[in-house]
Amino acid sequence: MNWTVIRALLARDLGMIRRSRALMLPMLFLPTLLLVVLPAAIGLSARERTLDVETFVNMLPESIAEPVLSAPPEERLIILVLGYMVAPLFLIVPLMVSSVLAADTFAGEKERKTLETLLHLPVSDRDLYVAKLLSTFVPSTAVAWVGFVVFCVVSNVVCWPVMGRVFIPTRTWMLVIFWLAPAVAALGLGVMVRVSLRVENTQEAQQLGGAVVLPMVVVAVGQTTGLLLAGPVVTVVVGLVVWLIAGTLNWRGMRAYRRNTMAARL
Amino acid sequence: MSDPVLSCEGLTRHFPSGTALDGLTLDARAGEVLALLGPNGAGKTTTMRLLNGVLSPDAGTATVLGLNPWRQGEELRARTGVLTENAGLDERLTALENLTFVARVRGMDPEAARPRAMELLERFGMAHRADVRVQGFSTGQRKRVALARALLHDPELLFLDEPTSGLDPVATRDVVELIGSLAAEHGRTVVLCTHFLGEAGRLASRMAVLFSGHLHAFGTPEELAGELWSGVEVRLDLGHQADGDLLRTLTGLTHVVQCVPVEQGLLARVTSRDAVPSLVAACVAAGKSVYAAEPRQPSLEDVYFEIEARSARLGPTGDLPGVHR
Ligand SMILES: Nc1ncnc2c1ncn2[C@@H]1O[C@H](COP(=O)(O)OP(=O)(O)OP(=O)(O)O)[C@@H](O)[C@H]1O
Ligand SMILES: [Mg+2]
Repeated sequence: MNWTVIRALLARDLGMIRRSRALMLPMLFLPTLLLVVLPAAIGLSARERTLDVETFVNMLPESIAEPVLSAPPEERLIILVLGYMVAPLFLIVPLMVSSVLAADTFAGEKERKTLETLLHLPVSDRDLYVAKLLSTFVPSTAVAWVGFVVFCVVSNVVCWPVMGRVFIPTRTWMLVIFWLAPAVAALGLGVMVRVSLRVENTQEAQQLGGAVVLPMVVVAVGQTTGLLLAGPVVTVVVGLVVWLIAGTLNWRGMRAYRRNTMAARL
Repeated sequence: MSDPVLSCEGLTRHFPSGTALDGLTLDARAGEVLALLGPNGAGKTTTMRLLNGVLSPDAGTATVLGLNPWRQGEELRARTGVLTENAGLDERLTALENLTFVARVRGMDPEAARPRAMELLERFGMAHRADVRVQGFSTGQRKRVALARALLHDPELLFLDEPTSGLDPVATRDVVELIGSLAAEHGRTVVLCTHFLGEAGRLASRMAVLFSGHLHAFGTPEELAGELWSGVEVRLDLGHQADGDLLRTLTGLTHVVQCVPVEQGLLARVTSRDAVPSLVAACVAAGKSVYAAEPRQPSLEDVYFEIEARSARLGPTGDLPGVHR
């Protein structure tokens, strides 16, 4: 692999992402809502008055009800929402960012008619593919991680009067952030690569991608809550499965990403 | 004769929609401008993509700069420069960034690449817009930036797909001059796809004429003219259009192949230049005043149109000049 070439391609892609409002807005909007506005709102309302979550929590499985109910009543809302419920929702961030960026770099390159230029450069098919993977994977993971740091700061600061301690990150959160989030980013990427190689433009890629990615989001959110409660071992194993699926998709994407195939579809 | 810089044999490529190129055999020598001519959809762009190792052929072989384009593509593309049909610039980048990006990919030293890029933008009259995003550029401005980009690394072999389409007359003249000097003075080889026959005539030493994927003619315009028409064409200025009697008399002469009346005289095709004096003498003997007699070399345009007309009549398998099957 030629890293000079990959770095040059990566720098171009990242520069173009930064300049594109159509990419930056979705990349920033959801994380801001989920990781800044939500914890601030929860924290502020918990400071105002104690919301009774006991009735609600009692409807949940024992494993989640127990740790929430063992906390003092005024902390329960915060622990329930910020400690447990946001974690699985959080996975939407890398998934969405990676699918938006992958559609832009794979289908968008062709749509903007810059693909032919790249194909005529001394860049191997594999370097081109790796650069495109990185230019999707790195920002998706970065948004997730930076978003998480912001989330921790906002949550702890706003909730300080109630909690009186740093309550995030928990071990659960750490697993979600460092193990599941990159895996999910790679999964969104892998799906979008396959989709993008089959469609004509970004819009189609996003529509078709959405049809595949959205159900995944629903399943992910539905299942992760249960998973996290089932304990770290299960979370690690599930993360491993996601990584394997993502790895396979991307590997097959690389095998399909051939100059001749690309050029025949210009 | 020196080894060809580029040669291919039996190059064939099919698409689901049909055959884009069928058994193309040609070559180009160092310092030569080779014109690829032919109507829309003839297979010119496909030929370039194949020769630069971007598309793979279904059949046939090629050697370009001593390399196999499909197995040594990276090496080859490091030494070729391409201007694609649509400029293919990144809209979100500035003109200069479009160039420096390619310079980085080509492994050029960034210190050296920037002044080189600026020099080329200057050369194409785009220096004042170097730091403007390409988004708002006109077709011609894009083409200029793309040309600068193709020349950045001073490639040995250039593939130029319609380099002057969309350019204004002054820019067209500049680009034509530049292409000429790249080949003549700097020994660069240029494969030029164009629809402008005048430009091809001025630049190209040899031309390859493609029609729906078939090579219909290949050679210098003179060679092709020699195979298309026997003899020389002469225009006689008689002060008025030649009448039927004179045409009959002249056609009867042994060296005259054909005579057609034109405004102010006639056009005669004679077997050789040596036949011109007797042609003039015959006119004078018939009581005509001959104001001028000009032997006319057929232009590349004449050759092209004749090939096109014959191709339409004969189809791809007809016996056409320069293509020896
Ligand atoms: N990627 C492709 N997929 C399907 N058909 C193609 C593809 N590329 C070229 N063709 C077909 O092959 C033929 C030759 O196309 P090509 O682009 O080489 O023509 P051209 O001589 O460059 O034409 P123009 O003067 O319009 O640029 C056309 O009939 C075209 O439709
Ligand atoms: Mg073309």
